[in-house]
Amino acid sequence: MVGNVFQVAQKLRNGSLIPSEVCSWCIRRSQLAKRLNVFITELPDYAQQLAEKSDERIALGKPLGLLDGIPIAVKDNYCTAGIKTSCASSMLENFYSPYNATVVQKVLDAGASVVGKTNMDEFAMGSGSLDSIYGPVRNPWSRVYARKRQMLTAVTSSAGVAIQQAQSGHGVSLSASQRIPDNYDDSYKSFSMEEDDWLIAGGSSGGSAVAVASGSCFGALSSDTGGSTRVPASYCGVVGYKPTYGLVSRHGLIPLVNSLDTPSMFTRCTDDAAAILATISGIDVMDSTTVQDCSVPFSLPDDASIEGLHIGIPEEYHAPGLSEETLDTWTWVADLFERAGAKVTRVSLPHTQYSIVCYSVLCVCEVASNMARYDGIEYGYRSEQALSTHALYADSRHTGFNDVVRGRILAGNYFLLKRNYDAYFVQAQKVRQLITADFRRAFDAGVDVLLTPTTLTVAPPYKEATQHDNRTMSAQEDVFTQPANMAGLPAVSVPVKLSSQSLPIGLQLMANNFEDKLLLTTAKWLEQQVQFNRLDLVEDSLGLGELVH
Amino acid sequence: MACVIITNIFKRNSFKKLGHFWYARSLSVAATRLKHDREWKAVIGIEIHAQIYSKSKLFSGSGTEYAYPVNNQVGLFDAAIPGTLPVINKRCVEAAVMTALALNCSVNKVSKFDRKHYFYADLPAGYQITQQRQPIATDGYCRCIVYNPAVPKYREPRELSVRIIQLQLEQDSGKSLHDEENGYTLVDLNRAGVGLMEIVTAPDMCDGEEAASLIKELQLIFKTIGTCNARMDEGSLRVDANISVHRPGEPLGVRTEVKNLNSVRFVAKAIDYEISRQIELLEDGGKVENETKAFDFKTGRTVSMRDKEMKQDYRFMPEPNLPPLRIYDSSDAVSHLDAHQVINVDDIRASIPTLPAAKRTHLVDVCGLPWADAIKLSSEVNLMEYFEGILRDAPHRLPKTAATILLKHVLRCVYKAKCSIADCNLAPQRVGEICDLIDTSKITWDIGAKLVDMVFEGETLNPAAIVEKNKWHKITDNEVILRLCQTAIDENPKAVRKYKEGKKRYFSTLIHHVQNKTEQCTDSFVVMDTLKQLVLCEYSKVTQES
Amino acid sequence: MSLVLSRLGNTVKRLTSFSKLCKSKRVFASNEKSKVPQKPTWSHVEENKLTEETLIDNETIDHLERMSLVDFNNQAGIDRLNKAIRFADQLQLVNTTGVEPMDTVLENRSLYLRSDEVTDGNCQNDILQNATKVIEDYFVAPPGNIPLPDQERDYGPASAKKRK
Repeated sequence: MVGNVFQVAQKLRNGSLIPSEVCSWCIRRSQLAKRLNVFITELPDYAQQLAEKSDERIALGKPLGLLDGIPIAVKDNYCTAGIKTSCASSMLENFYSPYNATVVQKVLDAGASVVGKTNMDEFAMGSGSLDSIYGPVRNPWSRVYARKRQMLTAVTSSAGVAIQQAQSGHGVSLSASQRIPDNYDDSYKSFSMEEDDWLIAGGSSGGSAVAVASGSCFGALSSDTGGSTRVPASYCGVVGYKPTYGLVSRHGLIPLVNSLDTPSMFTRCTDDAAAILATISGIDVMDSTTVQDCSVPFSLPDDASIEGLHIGIPEEYHAPGLSEETLDTWTWVADLFERAGAKVTRVSLPHTQYSIVCYSVLCVCEVASNMARYDGIEYGYRSEQALSTHALYADSRHTGFNDVVRGRILAGNYFLLKRNYDAYFVQAQKVRQLITADFRRAFDAGVDVLLTPTTLTVAPPYKEATQHDNRTMSAQEDVFTQPANMAGLPAVSVPVKLSSQSLPIGLQLMANNFEDKLLLTTAKWLEQQVQFNRLDLVEDSLGLGELVH
Repeated sequence: MACVIITNIFKRNSFKKLGHFWYARSLSVAATRLKHDREWKAVIGIEIHAQIYSKSKLFSGSGTEYAYPVNNQVGLFDAAIPGTLPVINKRCVEAAVMTALALNCSVNKVSKFDRKHYFYADLPAGYQITQQRQPIATDGYCRCIVYNPAVPKYREPRELSVRIIQLQLEQDSGKSLHDEENGYTLVDLNRAGVGLMEIVTAPDMCDGEEAASLIKELQLIFKTIGTCNARMDEGSLRVDANISVHRPGEPLGVRTEVKNLNSVRFVAKAIDYEISRQIELLEDGGKVENETKAFDFKTGRTVSMRDKEMKQDYRFMPEPNLPPLRIYDSSDAVSHLDAHQVINVDDIRASIPTLPAAKRTHLVDVCGLPWADAIKLSSEVNLMEYFEGILRDAPHRLPKTAATILLKHVLRCVYKAKCSIADCNLAPQRVGEICDLIDTSKITWDIGAKLVDMVFEGETLNPAAIVEKNKWHKITDNEVILRLCQTAIDENPKAVRKYKEGKKRYFSTLIHHVQNKTEQCTDSFVVMDTLKQLVLCEYSKVTQES
Repeated sequence: MSLVLSRLGNTVKRLTSFSKLCKSKRVFASNEKSKVPQKPTWSHVEENKLTEETLIDNETIDHLERMSLVDFNNQAGIDRLNKAIRFADQLQLVNTTGVEPMDTVLENRSLYLRSDEVTDGNCQNDILQNATKVIEDYFVAPPGNIPLPDQERDYGPASAKKRK
């Protein structure tokens, strides 16, 4: 079963599918994808219950909306009543929220079936989904990559054909029509994935990205503070969309950086993103940072057009370390826009280079503050220490938090010390003002949408990624994505094409505040042009267990 | 007999001696004080935390009732449950604006919120939301009267103006109950998140009495405008005092902070103790530490509250979940905004009732009351209301009479019955009728007092009827008075003789004779004058004869 | 004739290969003309451009651990902070004269005012359900206000080189 929310919803309407069937299918997929370590909490029974209720409603011809009966996954930093919310941390390993996050409630009220809580970096700190107490998330394209590598080293006479056909490695097909050539059966049987062959999924919302990429759900809620949605989207070949700050309520989203966090989503296509946004957006009295915007909800035109659109190419986004293939893809797409009638100009956002530095300061400062509540008294891990309140707190926080979290708390408190406050925190706030002004200037000059790479490279292998510490990695991975969070702009990563190693390359589009419709329409146009082949896990005749090893 | 004599001597001379002793001691205390006043100047500033009188808390929708079941008046945000966000209560903002205006502050049209970080069991988030950078109001002042007939320095009422540096909104913390025996602290978060107004004064006070006067004035203001019920015993008003001493001409000394004073009396005592302690320490060559202290009311001393720890750095940071708070005035165009979202300073200013200071001025300047009465009346909201009740719809009534009857006689009954002026069963109108009878010379003050007692006890007849019934009309016929006085003189020759010898107190015997005979229906002053004249006549008659 | 044909053939071949060449170089040519810059437009800031490096001393370590109630754990933790500070030092290179600090992208908006109604609370169960220790509906904490004891920290080689 392939398709997007619209296609599935149509089938549900016309009765060719029922929600509980769709739900079972997704749950089976998540079983296939178990080694990818997508979920912290799987909810097959709960999802089925919800799906059965959808069955009844749809049978009566009274669906709650487009999402009724559609399986959705939720990142494990959203509070879900009665279901564990751990943020992938020992600190909240046994935390059961008494309430639902607003976006979760909205999704449930729309009739969706929540299939599970997805894996992530601890407290959303990281760009790789590597720092979780439940283990790292694995990129589903890893098999393709490993297979490709193996195939490339195998010497066959039909090397050229083999390379092309190797893109349909066993168990993973790029389209339903391609099949494994018979002469590769043997190599398949001896095929094994070494630990090193795994690629990272990107983070911090890696679990949600892979949930969508693997077909375990049709959409997944995530968060984006500095690229936590767009980076994994780029690595996993799915659409990762961060709405304008303030469009979606953060009530119930356990915060990383309150002034940058944006509830976001992964979907298979841009239409789905618009559909999910329509469900989850809206002013919320429980969140004073939500704003009323009349442009939402919206749906995207069937024929997305970019006639008269002004695309800006910010030159500073050719940062050191940008891979050749990503650069070529960026160039190619810019060209694509121009040939199709859009006006493409180069623009300058001069403070881009300092954006990541600014982010590194503001992020840790807010982290230091937001993490101050974890003391084990009202909730969370509590050590046995009883000498004094401070001793208890220190001990609980030592065990409950990993090195990354503790490191950020210490750094944040350092920058917030009276003697450092002006030089670091206030200076970072001023640089943030400058970055926002850069964008404003570009948009005021007539640019509609900015086109940039999402990440420097394709998904790196695990071995390579773990050579750097979390902080360094974030500084590299998030270099293109966090400026949009600084200015609150809507941004989306669209998978464009495969690299020479058959890994997805994504590009980022950014628009002005509250121009989400324009942004997604442009993204839809691009999507229609590039026709990116999505990853599709198919059931293997050899049995489920063989598929993922 | 000897015992009696000795006892008498003891009673009289020793009493005098004792009196002398205490007199001398108080002189020496006063002398020390004077010396201190000359040699040392104390500088006091106070911080008041006033709980805002509102139905729900500052940033959450849970209630604010006093003494609610443990942890049952706690919202998810108050317990810092992850993912919850602050949403400000409009009423708290209005209360802060009104209080700021009552304290003559300038209200900032844009104010911001900050986080103040420290760890404590009753602070679940690990930070308090407050307004450090840009508070809601700044630069005001509060005028109060310093008056205490028991203290020589303050026997005469004196006005004191204290500058208000700023007024800010902030969250209250929960409550910790320390169980030393079992080695733990119990935490109740019912109070966590209740709205507070923190008012910071300039160090414009110089001793405990002045600080106490300011606090009493603030309590009055709060109760008049209804933004805080200002009960220190319930903790809805808390005071921290900053105290330092220095020699005149020298820079300000190191200050100590005395926290969590929960009665006006303790504020005064703690401050005075701390001033003496600091002076003694400095005179002995010691140094005052910048520390935080608590007041032990049992010993009357300030004690160190915290162990020596590193200087607290609160790492203030802007609260990212609260955009700027905007307040408007009539000059702003607000038609495009939702009316509920607009707080108009001018509207609030117009709704402020007459404040205690203005009432006092009115009582003194317009009603002609002495300061002592004006202060007493305006010191309690219910008392003031009662007084206004007496004068209501009776423009002819004399405020002075009303004040005297109320303060002397009605209050006496109230205290005796151990009830309160608000719920005593003596209606102000009845008191007004009694005042009218006095003012129109129909009855004497003494009868007036009697009437108050009777009506208070439950007499159903109106005062005029009581007077009629008992024939308690004032005797105004001078001949009758003359005759009565003469009779008194004739019947009390000894008293007359003693009086003539210079023992003035015997005169009252004559007055009492007349009063008793007439059931207090004669005016004491008239009787007095008449008696004096008669005595004088007699005296001159005698001397003439001799 | 055959010569002409063969020359024609060669020309065709050359033209074909030339056009193939053109085709293959078309990407290259269009890249050169592309709006997308083909080379990085900036490079990482050099160490010597930054202000004097800060290496945190023991007093700061102690102070931070008490403020944060988390520990550095080991030398790697301290190194991490030193690196983070060094990275953040790049901010000093930006000229921010006359620039207002930004608290939030919503700085031009107004705070939403909620009506004074009791809509929350009376959920003692929800509040207490995640607490490990509860005594008679109270949260339980050890005795308060006792600062952490001074600790011997073995974080490897002394990190104190320069005082800030």
